[in-house]
Amino acid sequence: MIDPAKHNLIEDAQGIAYGATMAAFGIVILTHLGLVTGQTAGLAVLIAYATGWSFGPVFFAINIPFYVLAYVRMGAAFTMKTFLAVALLSGLSLWLPGQISFAALNPWVGAILFGFLSGSALLALFRHGASLGGIGIVALMLQDRLGWRAGWVQLAFDVVLFAVAFAVIEARLVIISFVGALVVNLVIAINHRRDRYVVT
Amino acid sequence: MTDPTRHGPLDDAQGLAFGVTMAAFGMHILAHMGFVTGQTVGLAVLLTHVTGLPFPAVYFAVTLPFLALGWYRLGARFALKTLFTTAALSLMVALLPRWVDLGRMEPAFAAILFGLMFGIAALAAIRHGGSFGGLSILWIELQDRTGFRAGTAQLLSDVVIFGLAALIVPLDTLAYSFLGAAVFSLFLAINHRRDRYVAV
Repeated sequence: MIDPAKHNLIEDAQGIAYGATMAAFGIVILTHLGLVTGQTAGLAVLIAYATGWSFGPVFFAINIPFYVLAYVRMGAAFTMKTFLAVALLSGLSLWLPGQISFAALNPWVGAILFGFLSGSALLALFRHGASLGGIGIVALMLQDRLGWRAGWVQLAFDVVLFAVAFAVIEARLVIISFVGALVVNLVIAINHRRDRYVVT
Repeated sequence: MTDPTRHGPLDDAQGLAFGVTMAAFGMHILAHMGFVTGQTVGLAVLLTHVTGLPFPAVYFAVTLPFLALGWYRLGARFALKTLFTTAALSLMVALLPRWVDLGRMEPAFAAILFGLMFGIAALAAIRHGGSFGGLSILWIELQDRTGFRAGTAQLLSDVVIFGLAALIVPLDTLAYSFLGAAVFSLFLAINHRRDRYVAV
């Protein structure tokens, strides 16, 4: 009998494809508006703005060192799925601007749309045993080794990112970015519950 | 202790707000591309094409008779949540073009994006006890009265809607619309499982 509490290959594939596509669409909106966000993607966006490079290759490169940590901490399946999701997002973020464009976009509405798109993308990836990489895993390692709480490490990382963002983009855009990041985190905080979505 | 398998008011409010926003964004893409689709929304899109009346008003009017049927069949709670989601969707579809002005889009990607957005919107709405619809309530009633299978009736009604659409939209637009509808149906078919997302 097939265990209903396990995703099969096709289910995971469509979940990861959904997550990468929605996340890439979110990045198109974010970079169209010149906004930033938190975590690994936020670091990649900031580097992309500061250097003029594209988000896709930067995001892909930043994530490379984290796969070793991911393999040690989270196992082969998680690492492989995360690699696929990151590679897909990186590729799609290069391809998408040729597929869709905005004539005009209200930044506040754009930030909320980015929040919903990325929030549901991350939720789908988490529920299918993947992630979009990096910083979260380091935070977990630091908690194990040094006893620093992972949640606080992630928050501190985002505080630094947003502080640096003030030097790279306008203050108004940093504040709008904060709304987007808040929506992402609320979507995950409310909805990522193993007691409700019971499958792995 | 709180029962993890029951959504609180905040859970439902954010789930329905997410669903409405994603559906409105999907609808905005659909209208921008001149696509058609199936189900209640598809019927409203067809009537919009034929009458020239604004989609939000047509859609809301189309859902009203089904709402009455839903009240009688599925109870006041379901009917009120559906009224809330359909009214909110009508409003959002009317407002979103003010803030989001879409530019050039590749039709194949626009169709896939529409399918994913409608899929995730419907999934969120169903998991939080709402619906964008109506037509399916009619088919459930038909099954109870006559024994005619609701699933078959649903499929037949979509065949009729797409058949009528073939008379008014160009063939390539129809083909892209079909791609979007296929992504939407497949997404729901794979992911809507009460044995996996257990909360109500």
